[in-house]
Amino acid sequence: MSHSKAATIFNKDEKKVNWHDKALWFVRHKRDKSVHSVEGWENLRNLGQGIKAHMLSNLDNYLIQFEEKALKNGVQVHWAKDGDEHNKIVHSILKEHNAKKVVKSKSMLTEECHLNPFLEADGIEVIDTDLGERIVQLAKEPPSHIVLPAIHKTKEEVDELFQEHLGTKPCGGDPQYLTGEARKHLREKFVNADAAITGVNFAIADTGGFVVCTNEGNADMGAHLAPVHIACMGIEKIIPKQEHLGVFLRLLGRSATGQHITTYSSHFRKPREGAKMHIVIVDNGRTEQLSRPDFRASLQCIRCGACMNTCPIYRRSGGHSYDATIPGPIGSILSPGKDLKKHSSLPFASTLCGSCSDVCPVKIDIHAQLYKWRQIITKEMKQPFVKKVSMEMMGKMFAKPSQFEKVGMVARWSLRNLPKSVINSKPNVWGRERDLPKGPKESFDEWYKNRKKNE
Amino acid sequence: MSSRADILARVKTNKPKLLNIPNIALDVFEDGRDLLKEFTVKVETAGGQVFETQSKDLVVGEVQKLFPEAKVNFSTLENTEDFNTINLEAIKTPHDLEDLDVLIVESNVGVAENGAIWLNDALLPMRILPFITKHLVVILKKDDLVTFMHQAYQKLNGEDTGFGVFLSGPSKTADIEQSLVIGAHGALSLSVFLV
Ligand code: SF4
Repeated sequence: MSHSKAATIFNKDEKKVNWHDKALWFVRHKRDKSVHSVEGWENLRNLGQGIKAHMLSNLDNYLIQFEEKALKNGVQVHWAKDGDEHNKIVHSILKEHNAKKVVKSKSMLTEECHLNPFLEADGIEVIDTDLGERIVQLAKEPPSHIVLPAIHKTKEEVDELFQEHLGTKPCGGDPQYLTGEARKHLREKFVNADAAITGVNFAIADTGGFVVCTNEGNADMGAHLAPVHIACMGIEKIIPKQEHLGVFLRLLGRSATGQHITTYSSHFRKPREGAKMHIVIVDNGRTEQLSRPDFRASLQCIRCGACMNTCPIYRRSGGHSYDATIPGPIGSILSPGKDLKKHSSLPFASTLCGSCSDVCPVKIDIHAQLYKWRQIITKEMKQPFVKKVSMEMMGKMFAKPSQFEKVGMVARWSLRNLPKSVINSKPNVWGRERDLPKGPKESFDEWYKNRKKNE
Repeated sequence: MSSRADILARVKTNKPKLLNIPNIALDVFEDGRDLLKEFTVKVETAGGQVFETQSKDLVVGEVQKLFPEAKVNFSTLENTEDFNTINLEAIKTPHDLEDLDVLIVESNVGVAENGAIWLNDALLPMRILPFITKHLVVILKKDDLVTFMHQAYQKLNGEDTGFGVFLSGPSKTADIEQSLVIGAHGALSLSVFLV
């Protein structure tokens, strides 16, 4: 389904769309407020961009260094070419430890690899422990946002879900009560888990350690209780040195939710006594994206979600309309690199206003990359007949000023004189949900010439 | 070819030519703010409380006043046997800590710009402690406050710890319609005592 079709479905509930739009805009505001309190914010962004760009230009060496240090720290390191291999590795580690119950903290990578269904098929219970992720897991939906996974759900919907699955009392969607019940429910899961899976926010080449950021403390509750901790990371999570965390931890929380830092920034380096720690390093299309000079900067992303919160299209179409693990502006440049055909409508789900690039903490030129994908897609993919013909006609018309004038005259007359039913007829998508303006009597060109004459 | 060799080979072929690593110059961030005030504001913004106290020895007494209902307590301070109701030596698995009401620990780095406090393996007898406790109390010397994360990492440089955490405020979530709820999975409250 194209993005615009999926967005139409989301837009059926106007009240919800308005709420979604405002809620995300509010998060964008919180980001602005905390960012403006930081002296030298632009310097910080430049550093973030520069460190990540450097990392990509030396990534193979940093990966080798990271592995060497991690092994020395007593951590086992695994490599996976694609999602399938990643799932098999995780599965085999769990089998080796005879783990049947797994708690997982937020990891977009394991979503990308579809780890949960793979493990569940073998009778392994996988519980997502981030509250938002647990909500969408119970609803059997994917997350709709990378930082706020259940932002598309109303509190009443959560209330109903919890009544059905956790046996809670009806509460009119009281967030305090529902969160408290989730805490109890998940506490039980943490205490009984055989293994914990976490994502990785940053992996440090010179220490072999990695950092996981959460607000809820769920990654720590999982990792410090279970006998086995498996951390899954994409190859691009590497940063050269621990001191670089100073830059990224200052950028991440503020860009994500306006917090000056996430509640827990946990630095894992060695397994605790008696426990095991594994790291799975995953490619799954990343080396291919690295080969594309126009798009490789997308691998600098630190998954803060700011580009989603600010995007006028995302806010009004919802994360699910992108039909991709990473939605929103950054998702729209990552996804076509994986499957151009499936995701060909995504680079068009943008006004190219550039707001995403403005807020991005690592200065990815998101809107420029969207524009570049559009050019590739228009060249390589069959365009709808109407679009193709109308584009050709427009091209010819713009090439001849006299014709452009005539067409303009007709259009202005039509907008003034034709009934609305004709103007807003079906082929005119611009007439949907809005009225077109009344056509002025003269064109800009005529107005300008007349003005000159009268001077 | 193994996946490792394959991935590394592909990175080598596909990466751009080597770019310089930027130098982190700290002077551009200087904002002249007062360390102590800034730290206090930021801990409070993150949902925690800050108390100033004359001496470390007074903390236990003040904590008992703060949490009169607490039954299961543990502190890593010396000479607090009267306060401690659990004996860590006797704890076989971390799960036995589930009922912990109050934990008192010491930190050696606090960051003014965001109210974050550093705890690590050397300061924690068990990693799960600051997460599983209901109420977390941290003691920090004013001298251990730094302005930004950059200075914090300068202090941590060379520290070879198996686990460490920058912790800012109690655990929280806003996953239900963006309403902030304190106390998701980790501690329900954070109190910082500055000495
Ligand atoms: S592209 Fe930039 S703004 Fe968007 S999620 Fe990634 S880091 Fe954040």
